Amino acid sequence: MEIIVCIKPVLDPDMPPAKFSVDSKTNRVIPPEGMPLVINPYDALAVEAALKIKEAKGGKITAVTLAGSFATEILRKAVAMGADEAININDPAFEDSDTFSTAFILAEVVKKIGKYDLVLCGRQAADWDNGVVGSVIAEYLNIPSVIRAKGIVVTNGKLRVERVVANGFEIYEMGLPAVVTLSSEMGQARIPTGWGIINAVKKKIPVWTCSDLGLDPVRVGKTAARNSLVKLYTFSPSRSCEMITGKDDKEAAGKLAEKIMDIKP
Amino acid sequence: MENFDAIVVGAGPAGCAAAYTMAKAGLNVLVLERGKYAGAKNTWGGALFGSAMNEVFPEFWKEAPVERSVSRHAISFLTKDACLSVDYKDSHSDGSSTPGFIILRAKFDQWMAGKVEKAGAIIAAGLEVDDFIREGKAIRGVKVGGEEFPANVVILADGVNSLLAVKAGLRGEFKAKDLKQGVKEVLRLPREVIEDRFNLRGTDGAVMEFVGHCTLGLPGGGFIYTNLDSLSVGVVVQLSALLEKRVKASELLEEFKAHPAVQSLIRGGELLEYSAHLIPVSGISMMPKLFADGIMITGDAAAMVLGTGLILEGANFAVAAGVAAGNAAIRAREKNDYSSAALQSYEQALKDTFVLKDLNTFREAPHFLENERIYNAYPQWACDLMSRIFCSNGKPRKNTFQVVRESMKGRFNIMQLFSDFMRARRAM
Repeated sequence: MEIIVCIKPVLDPDMPPAKFSVDSKTNRVIPPEGMPLVINPYDALAVEAALKIKEAKGGKITAVTLAGSFATEILRKAVAMGADEAININDPAFEDSDTFSTAFILAEVVKKIGKYDLVLCGRQAADWDNGVVGSVIAEYLNIPSVIRAKGIVVTNGKLRVERVVANGFEIYEMGLPAVVTLSSEMGQARIPTGWGIINAVKKKIPVWTCSDLGLDPVRVGKTAARNSLVKLYTFSPSRSCEMITGKDDKEAAGKLAEKIMDIKP
Repeated sequence: MENFDAIVVGAGPAGCAAAYTMAKAGLNVLVLERGKYAGAKNTWGGALFGSAMNEVFPEFWKEAPVERSVSRHAISFLTKDACLSVDYKDSHSDGSSTPGFIILRAKFDQWMAGKVEKAGAIIAAGLEVDDFIREGKAIRGVKVGGEEFPANVVILADGVNSLLAVKAGLRGEFKAKDLKQGVKEVLRLPREVIEDRFNLRGTDGAVMEFVGHCTLGLPGGGFIYTNLDSLSVGVVVQLSALLEKRVKASELLEEFKAHPAVQSLIRGGELLEYSAHLIPVSGISMMPKLFADGIMITGDAAAMVLGTGLILEGANFAVAAGVAAGNAAIRAREKNDYSSAALQSYEQALKDTFVLKDLNTFREAPHFLENERIYNAYPQWACDLMSRIFCSNGKPRKNTFQVVRESMKGRFNIMQLFSDFMRARRAM
């Protein structure tokens, strides 16, 4: 089994909320100082799923990211967990890619790798929560896909996937190759071993650029984006407390009822 | 299994300095860090007085993430309502002296770790060493969970709570009387507000230290350091005094922040971080055995902190000691001898540098600083004296010396004063 896992760095979910801030002028999240990004937790599950399949069937796992900053760190994390190879997809032309151009680039990466049975992704990135990239990669590759999987088994060259739905799960069977995105119902990703971390630090990670992939820069990045961010701001909830009094409970309750009726939807 | 020339436990200033020194000399070095990344697991005031850092990483401030350079250093005595300050400013414009630097360790340690990696060492984070590989009495590597990492020599740089130092038999557990507890908040404030409020230009920074009411008279003090766009605000208090008086350091921090002189400096700050840590403060009297077969210990783990009352310096000592330990490991490798006798050169090197010299010069300071009059009677007296001199109450003024004499009356007797003076002379 040749498995490609697409991973992405996100803000550390353990980060104190006070450190999160956005620049509304440029519509960007301001990277919190001193807090390294971490592998998207759903993507770590995709690596875990790949490792389970490899343990059962043998094969090779290649982790890829289209990250920009902290690419090496999260690729090393995947290698530390047990991935065999890692590729850093990095080019200034890829900046400001939306989900569609991201999926397009990743599909091209998969094509360039050439030999693959399975492409795994997290169900969504824990930063923007779009949950689109996996399915669109499948569209570009013209292969089947299942999203929100909680389990994958490969038997006799076929894929059996348990897909999470609102009140249970569905079982799909399909041929290979395919794209599957993993959901948190799968369980937990393994913690890398010490020697795993050391091997990962020593791993040479190649960088593939736009021209390595033979892509026209117009088809990626900002120029190719189909959606644009209109406004990015942090929501600041405000509340005020007013004590309602009256000569007795009945009067106070009456005043409260009036107040409620005055609130315009 | 790969055998490392050296394993360093902890990627703080001591560990990074040791690893960098060894990696540059071509040793195969592994650094094991317990936190998610270097700098994730520490609490730090602070200012770095970087003479040793400058030797390891020349002119580090040009490249490393430093917040501000110290151009103002104030020491204030607090009573409940009053504050008497000595405020020293130095623009360092002639370049003859290197200022201290205010840094945030979460950022700074990551920078150092990057340097160490570039020099060729491996830094593996998220791994907590829990035991040693032993060969007879000698230490031959470390264990993490079920995994073994063999090495010729282990350098412990794992901080004040080093359980490994105890396991290695280098020392017992530190005692409460030898520790201070620090609690700190980082408060976000706009850069311009900080510069206006603290009277700073550009990236100049202020170190403000407070003695007296901020610890309710317990041995210790309060501090404010100006970062680029935040303030580090905290108190450091003798742990045994906290236990004895049943006071929480966090309560003292609230008390400190509410003091009028402090409140006006920090108002409007948005809480970003809260952290607490222990500081070993008894200097040479609490210092462990520094080496044994296959192991050396350095930094806070070895109590290499200088506290004179006016100075609290640890990182600079840690870096110098880390370098000394690294050099000892390099010499040991040349002779292929990692025995206790071979590693003795580490302690000798420390004796030749400021590390053990300073700690020796100020060996009486920790004891002197336990005197509660420093935190209680003297600040009270100093502020009361100022109030008598400056306040106008409609009566004829008295001669200043008479005012001084009156202000002292009933507070302390001449013998106490004399004995404290003599002790201060010896200690400082």
